[in-house]
Amino acid sequence: MRVSRKGSALLVLGVTSLLIATACSGNNGSSSSTPTPGAVTKGGTYRSATSSFGFVGDFDPVGEYTAVGFSYYQMLLRTLLNYTGEAGSAGLVPHPDLATDMGTVSSDGLTYTYHLKDNIKFGPPINREITSSDIKYAFERIDSSSLVAQYAFYFDGVIKGMAQHSGPPKNISGIDTPDSKTIVFHLTTPTSDFPARLSLAATAPVPQEVAKCFTKPAGGYGNDIVSSGPYMIQGADQMDPSSCSTIKPMSGYDPTSKLILVRNPNWDQSTDNLRKAYVDGLNMSIDSNVDDIFNKISSGSLDGSFYEIPPPTVLQKYSTTASLKPYMHIDPQNTTYYISMNLIVPPFDDIHVRKAVNYIIDKAAIQKAWGGAATGTIAGHIMPPSMAGLTDYDPYGTSGNAGDLSKAEAEMKQSKYDPGKTGKCTDSVCNDVILLNRNEPPWTDAEAGIVADLAKIGINVKARELESGAAYQTIDTVKSGAEVGISMNPRWGADYGDPNTFAQPLFSSQSIIPVGTSNYSMVSMTKGQASKFGVTYPSGGVPSADSQISGCLPKTGQDRQTCFQDLDKYLMEQVVPWVPMFYANQVTITSPTVTNFAFDQFTGFIALQNVAVSNNASP
Amino acid sequence: MWRYIIRRLVWLVLTLLFITGLTYVLFFVMPPTDPSILFAGKHPTPQVIEQVRKNLGLDRPFVVQYYLYVKHIVVGDQYGWPGLGFSFTTGKAVRSLILEKLAVTFALSLGASIVWLMIGVPIGIISAIKPGSLYDRLGMGFALFFVSAPVFWVGLMFLWIFWYKLHIAAGTGYYPISQYGVLTWANHLIMPWVVLALVFAAFYARMVRGNLIETMHEDYIRTARAKGISERRVILKHGLRAALTPVVTMFGIDFGLLFGGAIITETVFNLQGIGLLSVQSVNNGDLPVIVAITLVASFAVCFMNLVVDIIYAYLDPRVRYT
Repeated sequence: MRVSRKGSALLVLGVTSLLIATACSGNNGSSSSTPTPGAVTKGGTYRSATSSFGFVGDFDPVGEYTAVGFSYYQMLLRTLLNYTGEAGSAGLVPHPDLATDMGTVSSDGLTYTYHLKDNIKFGPPINREITSSDIKYAFERIDSSSLVAQYAFYFDGVIKGMAQHSGPPKNISGIDTPDSKTIVFHLTTPTSDFPARLSLAATAPVPQEVAKCFTKPAGGYGNDIVSSGPYMIQGADQMDPSSCSTIKPMSGYDPTSKLILVRNPNWDQSTDNLRKAYVDGLNMSIDSNVDDIFNKISSGSLDGSFYEIPPPTVLQKYSTTASLKPYMHIDPQNTTYYISMNLIVPPFDDIHVRKAVNYIIDKAAIQKAWGGAATGTIAGHIMPPSMAGLTDYDPYGTSGNAGDLSKAEAEMKQSKYDPGKTGKCTDSVCNDVILLNRNEPPWTDAEAGIVADLAKIGINVKARELESGAAYQTIDTVKSGAEVGISMNPRWGADYGDPNTFAQPLFSSQSIIPVGTSNYSMVSMTKGQASKFGVTYPSGGVPSADSQISGCLPKTGQDRQTCFQDLDKYLMEQVVPWVPMFYANQVTITSPTVTNFAFDQFTGFIALQNVAVSNNASP
Repeated sequence: MWRYIIRRLVWLVLTLLFITGLTYVLFFVMPPTDPSILFAGKHPTPQVIEQVRKNLGLDRPFVVQYYLYVKHIVVGDQYGWPGLGFSFTTGKAVRSLILEKLAVTFALSLGASIVWLMIGVPIGIISAIKPGSLYDRLGMGFALFFVSAPVFWVGLMFLWIFWYKLHIAAGTGYYPISQYGVLTWANHLIMPWVVLALVFAAFYARMVRGNLIETMHEDYIRTARAKGISERRVILKHGLRAALTPVVTMFGIDFGLLFGGAIITETVFNLQGIGLLSVQSVNNGDLPVIVAITLVASFAVCFMNLVVDIIYAYLDPRVRYT
């Protein structure tokens, strides 16, 4: 996912000039596996603050598409399958959660059957046992576009009878609930990462008796989420579900000021081996002053940070003071920051130009602008190592990652835009090429270097800086995207632990839609699509990755990993849509009150469901 | 007098109409982001985008949208009167959102304005009475320092010195009276009051000084002195009264302006007021909130201007309204 379009803007508010902070510090914070001091006990509250929730779907699981939202859902909601909330690739392997096991797949790969564990109840005020119909109802909500449901593309055309429609949720023919504990999914096409899709919070059971009252825009139900996990929104027990008119927002959530979660009395640890649920609750407040958040952590009035990147001074303090290092946690997320080149816009319709750009960009300088090694590892290819397991592969590697003019020139000489073989683009298409960027640091800090690098091979760009959301909208609309040759604003994070989340949405022709595409490079675009969307199709065509992607989809296990590794290599060598910049790290600062720090590879943030504190505070 | 006030009120309404209309036009002509796409998720189908647009009321022509907006302000909407619609981002009623944030901004502005008058006016008077003296130099030095020091820096320094280091002030955040009592409330507001007030105080000190020095050279002051009135009475009763009239004008406008939010002070001290809300809503393309804040801020300025003009009549006997 886009790690929250707006969250992304907020994420970097405090990162003005990280250069000094960590450029020379390396990965010297503690990794998530480092034991934290103190005994791990139950109780206390994880007290944290964030500059903004950054929600885009009003916190309703069917519409909320931000990684920070996922983090809270890990405390509130259980799904058929889910994750252990740990760092590394182990944290991306789905395990049974509400389901008794990993389910049964028919030999043709078209039928998935799951049984629900016994004695799992909804939290107050519903208090009844969760049934298969509650899960089916969640899928029905996913198809209701009037709820502004955002996950339909994972299931429409995959589960029989699923297609988004306006109006309230209605029955789906491809999901059977033969009894209250069994749910059967009938697929139209074998989809081997289907189980992973059942870990998305939008598929968590929803009690119809409450949710039916919120049939208009998403948002209403976000204030009254009924818990199935170890925690519930404070005040959930005060909500009166006897009729739609008596349902008032739960007191613990205010989108502009706070989210307070307390224990769900109906949750039973013996049914849940994925969540440790050490703390008694969560107190997340809004603090507009990012420096203030970190000062409060250092003074102990907060227990730790959430998604905000620590300001430079804080990073420096924690990376240079031996006694503080254990409280800085650096964990790789499943996110790639990249420069996207538009394959239908000259001069980037020529693969040699795209390769030359890959050689010339000084990635070390970009990493410095972002704050050094602590904030990310330089990327040699598209998928972060946690996705398909591809490491140590960099077809355009240069010494010190500083870029290589002679290699870039050698590529450029083969380009049709350098007929005189000068090593520089001499064609007029290389003048005034638009470079799209965000209007905030560290993007703006990295811009001058990239502009200068491109000029070295004769590509003269005009930088256009826009607010994060506006920048995305420029390139996710095919027509306006066609005016932009190269953009350094995007980044991509996985929705769940399957490499396809880094393939289909980004590089398939199917994902090219007039508005809201995430295939910003227009990889696999067909001539038909180009004329339909009113853009010029390059005479040399556009390389496609469609057959490679669809070849990988049915595969499972190691075969699947290898297939996507090969796809990554194919994209890097034969298509070259991106200059991968770096794989992002999440830096979390905790206070000594945190006795167990855990990082959730699935969400890419602190695992709130597994964190332990010694503060004895009540939520 | 009443005719004057009514005429002014009519102008106020027209001004507000013009300002909200302009905000609407600016938003639609140069949208920062299309909110319907922003809230439609990752792979929005045209259906979902259309639905969001409908939910947000953006599917109608903008003239109709503006008409409905004005209509709701006049007659109210589902959330009460005046109807300000709902926030695109949070789904909350803008009316209650604004009221909630306004309480914070009001507490900040009122306290700060009292502080700045209490600091600025006396310093100005003392400086003006003995121009060139040590007091004058100290007073004007103070003024120069705080006029030129950026608020965010002063705020951070205050936090660092009085909270982190000396532990004598309470930290950031707003603690409502209803929940925490007057003491905790005031304790958390003292620093923001002082920080916000210092810039204004410095400015007011310079202004009072200048005006008062000028007034003290007027003929009628000489006359007053010649009549044998005590110097204290000459300054306070005759000099200051005339010197303060422009200060009242400034105060009205400054106080009104603060209702648009003291963005920097609110950010530094984490006071969830109108200023912070405005920054967030501009970032999110949250039109209803942006327009509502514009409305509140311009209303405050216009209204305070009117109040100032009325007070003027009492302060300056030469001014009469008909």
